[in-house]
Amino acid sequence: MPQSCRVINSRQHVGLQKLSALSGRIQSSVGPFKNYKFIQDESSGDSVLVCSCFRIIENLEPACTVGQLVYETVRAHHQQYRTGSGCLLFLAGAWSHAALDSLQRGISVQHIITAMSEGIDICLDACKKFSVSFKDLTVMEKCTAAPGGTKKASTNVSTEMANFHDKCLSKSGQRKVKLSRHFCETKSGMLSTVRHPDQPDMIVIAESLSHGCEKTMKLAVEAAQMLLKTNQQHISDPLFDISKMLTCLVSGLPEDCACVVEGCILLLSDEQAVVAHMVKQQPLKVALITGDLSQTYRHLGFKSLPGEQSVHEDLDLSASSKEDEWVDKVVKLLLNLEVKLILTAGLVSQKVIQHCCRHQILVVEKVNSSVLKTIGSSTGAIPVNYATQLTESCVGDGVNVEIWRDLSSYERKSLTAVNISTGRNSGLVTVVVTSCVHGKLQALEDQFWACAYRLHHALKDGALLPGAGGTEVLCVHQLQKQAEHNRVKDSKTGSAANLYRGLVLQLMADGLIDYITAVMVNTGRCSAASARTIVSKQLTEFHRDEISTGKFLQLVSQSKREDAGFSAVKPDETPTLNIYDNLSVKQEAWRKALDLVFLVLQTDAEIITGTGQKNEGNLMLL
Amino acid sequence: MSRLVKKSPSVCTDLPLNSSDVCNKLRLMKELLKSSYGPTARLKQVHNNIGGAVVTTSTSSVLLQAISCSHPIISLIKGSILNHVSRFSDCGLFASVFCLSLIEEAGRCGLRKDVMIRVYKHLLSLCTAHLQQEDCGCKVKLDFCSSRSLITLARSVIASKPTCVLSEPESAHISRLAVQAFLLTVPCNIPDKVRLGRTVTIPIEGHSVLESAVFSGLLLDTPENISLGSLCSPLRMVLFSASLAGDLSELGDGRIEVHQGVDTDSQILDQLLELGKQVLKDEVKLFVCQKVIHPVLQHYLRCNGVIVIERLGISLMEPLIQLTGAQPVATLHTTIPRAAYGEVHNVSVRQFGSKTKMHLHPAGKTTTCTMILCHRNETMLNELKLVCQKTEHVLRLTLREPCALLGGGCTETHLAAYIRYQSKNDVSESSPVLSCSQTEYLLAAEAFCRSLESVATSLEHDNGASLIDLTHAHHWTLPSDVTEEHLKDATALCGCGVVQSCQNRKWSYLNTEYAEFSPAPLLTAAPLQPTVLDSFTAKVNALEVAVETANLVLDVRYVIQDVN
Repeated sequence: MPQSCRVINSRQHVGLQKLSALSGRIQSSVGPFKNYKFIQDESSGDSVLVCSCFRIIENLEPACTVGQLVYETVRAHHQQYRTGSGCLLFLAGAWSHAALDSLQRGISVQHIITAMSEGIDICLDACKKFSVSFKDLTVMEKCTAAPGGTKKASTNVSTEMANFHDKCLSKSGQRKVKLSRHFCETKSGMLSTVRHPDQPDMIVIAESLSHGCEKTMKLAVEAAQMLLKTNQQHISDPLFDISKMLTCLVSGLPEDCACVVEGCILLLSDEQAVVAHMVKQQPLKVALITGDLSQTYRHLGFKSLPGEQSVHEDLDLSASSKEDEWVDKVVKLLLNLEVKLILTAGLVSQKVIQHCCRHQILVVEKVNSSVLKTIGSSTGAIPVNYATQLTESCVGDGVNVEIWRDLSSYERKSLTAVNISTGRNSGLVTVVVTSCVHGKLQALEDQFWACAYRLHHALKDGALLPGAGGTEVLCVHQLQKQAEHNRVKDSKTGSAANLYRGLVLQLMADGLIDYITAVMVNTGRCSAASARTIVSKQLTEFHRDEISTGKFLQLVSQSKREDAGFSAVKPDETPTLNIYDNLSVKQEAWRKALDLVFLVLQTDAEIITGTGQKNEGNLMLL
Repeated sequence: MSRLVKKSPSVCTDLPLNSSDVCNKLRLMKELLKSSYGPTARLKQVHNNIGGAVVTTSTSSVLLQAISCSHPIISLIKGSILNHVSRFSDCGLFASVFCLSLIEEAGRCGLRKDVMIRVYKHLLSLCTAHLQQEDCGCKVKLDFCSSRSLITLARSVIASKPTCVLSEPESAHISRLAVQAFLLTVPCNIPDKVRLGRTVTIPIEGHSVLESAVFSGLLLDTPENISLGSLCSPLRMVLFSASLAGDLSELGDGRIEVHQGVDTDSQILDQLLELGKQVLKDEVKLFVCQKVIHPVLQHYLRCNGVIVIERLGISLMEPLIQLTGAQPVATLHTTIPRAAYGEVHNVSVRQFGSKTKMHLHPAGKTTTCTMILCHRNETMLNELKLVCQKTEHVLRLTLREPCALLGGGCTETHLAAYIRYQSKNDVSESSPVLSCSQTEYLLAAEAFCRSLESVATSLEHDNGASLIDLTHAHHWTLPSDVTEEHLKDATALCGCGVVQSCQNRKWSYLNTEYAEFSPAPLLTAAPLQPTVLDSFTAKVNALEVAVETANLVLDVRYVIQDVN
């Protein structure tokens, strides 16, 4: 019996419960303060150290249908934004909980969908309305830079979080905007001193988006500014080309050694390093190969004949093998073309490496294809598929190889990092991510990309959202206001359409409050109960005052801090720390979260095809 | 040593419809499809249990294909509905629910199967005759002078699939695009033989639905770093259907022997480069291949200023041939005849998010267009693509018969009321012709009407009640949670949006008895403006398929299965 069907929708919607449960697993990983998690594969005994929500889901490999749907959504989001997956998943869980609650109160699926669609529109509108454009940001920046900016701070979510941020931030506050030690170290030449009047400093934006990863964000800013400089982009357009940013992971060095280097840093093995030493610091001719560098390699889509047989007319034992012939041919060609450096996207056979080493040709394998593209365009080299294809016109000129660092002492096997650059504006920037713990590298790399993409998207949007829970509180306020409005209207006119809308909106708002509380609890500074108290206190303040839009911003976005903790050291200075979120990333994550809820909410059955099914109680066979 | 295994004899089952197992399966199938019907349908997740991809859908073609049942009766129904869907795209769920209801009702009223079959057949002819009539109350003429009714028709199809998760403005946008794409495929100047063009759909994930668009001409995937130098129009192009990968894949599994020292690969490559030379000599500027092109040939052509596109895929071949007039070259061993070359007016590059596409502008008038569909999520995008293809088909069907049926269940209730009325009136004439008693005839007619009405009822999934008004016989729904004082707002309009509710209107719950009446035509000065429309051609055919399949199933006496 190959067919079965599982009914999953009743009052206890199994799909929504699964979604809610899945999102529960990442509860401790939302917000800037994440805990590392080990995920262990019981069958193989392997384990991975994960930090971001995306990696958790990726490594959990959820097998159920809802899990797959979640993974599909989160992966798509991660590929585009590299940040915000936790927010997406948490809200999908929180809102599926809201949907479950509504179902249990007997609200029909159709009503839930209508009300929640209205809810998300309210939230996205609020985001648009309360987003801070860069122009406003510049104005605010000036205000805060002015002396005597001390205002009585109110205890709110933002301050709570801001306090914590300060602890991570540095000990020097002499700049007009408080920056970390690392920001101060960056040479002032790097900073865009002449900038567009309406364009705020990239450093200010970056800092407010760092969300607890100041060091990493500093790397991202440095990389971005280096990219802008090397590409000689116009200063009024700070949007950098993120595809020209690379990462290089080095284990065995302390994390503080992370740095940004102009050019492309690649790790070389021992014998390649010897060649590198010989060819360093001189303009080299370069060849770019998109395929593997071996005799047996054929391009994608080529089907070799299984039935081909070679007929020998006479036995010739002295004949060298086909491979040797091929290697000789390639090496001869390379020598003729005076190529000294070969970058391949694929693999290189050992024989080729040996021959090339003998002739002092440096071969680097597994090079990122975007690197090939960029080096190609700046040197005039044309990437080819086969080495035999190379001609004079495909070879680029003027590439420099420098020994960047000898990492041999840190690892048992020797390892040398070289910097391949083109001197002219090659436009590549490598961020070297280091860690003593090998297992942590992936998490650190993810963290870097999260920062870089946050900065990239902020510059692309040209606007920011009040962060540190500010936007969420605003949306909760708007949702509750609308819910209240519906209730009043309902009792007056008694329209059937509003009957449940208020309730569903309230439940949606509760989901957002859950998110804020989870983020606050993860800071480790307050319990769930006190976090809720803080949020509700602020909400009642909002409701009581019916504050105008402008004042909202004052309250939330410019989170003043109390003179507690760190700033007590320097009481004369009252630096303001603004925390912001990405506009498009947040909007997209919320919408995707609700899409997930809608898809699961409307599903009432699974159709399982194929044979060999497990015997489960609730299966019906067709 | 061979061993003989005795074949077990075939199993013959008598009266399969009497078995409770078969009935349960039919009921389950009905529930499954019924719950997937209409704009507020419940979705199904289709997957295999070894971790394959999950498809979330409520589309009959996907659902039925996923159902692989061992029982021949289920397979029979599935096969005939799928055949209908492949020909008309729309009304698959209508046909299945109606068909399964007819079978169920036939079992319930306990009449002889041959009587049921004859009466069903007779009533079907009554229905189709009524629907073909000029003054049929549930039919509207489509006005091609304005796009309004076409958009309504498209929108009804698009809105019927909730997996797309579209907001109001989004579904309006997609409906307009669907109609625009349809109109672009209709040729302007009419030769003797009208041939409709093609719409190529390209899904792009991760963007807002509102960024979807329609372009005249074709959009193709481009290689990464494309540089369009100064190209003078028109551009000559060549299209290969043969693989230019440089292998000998055409030989199949044959064995070949070669002398040592002979390098087949390089010989084929030489042949390919020879081809490249000819193409360059003939001033071809655009070189397209359905399959893989050898990188050396690509490189050679690019270096000489030719735009190279490989891996076009079989689905784009036909539209490209239509657009350019090229004839696909199927071999690399002869010189290309000049007649095989095609032409495009111009090419340009368009960017959709991270995807770069090359836009081929036609040399003359074209009926080929490309629809870029965007959605936030893969699941929703897949369903949207299916729905848009279905809409295109439905719109094309209007050219055959320029009318549509009222949607929202109103056609079903109207037909049911009409059949009830007619069967009461012609009972004395019809029953002798059908060789059954008058009671039998009326009972069977009641079963038929109930089945029709149950399709209308299937539109409601939130425990709401379905009603019929006793003047025009349109379909109304009453939400389950509506209170007495809100009754008026809840039932302001009927299912198709033509009839407004008024004080002295009488209603009856569907599937309860009401006195038969002849549905009154709507008398309005202005032409009707329904908000929901169904495809006429598809629905009429679905009606026939449902009744005939049900009759066939009722007619099955024995099932003989080979169990070896």
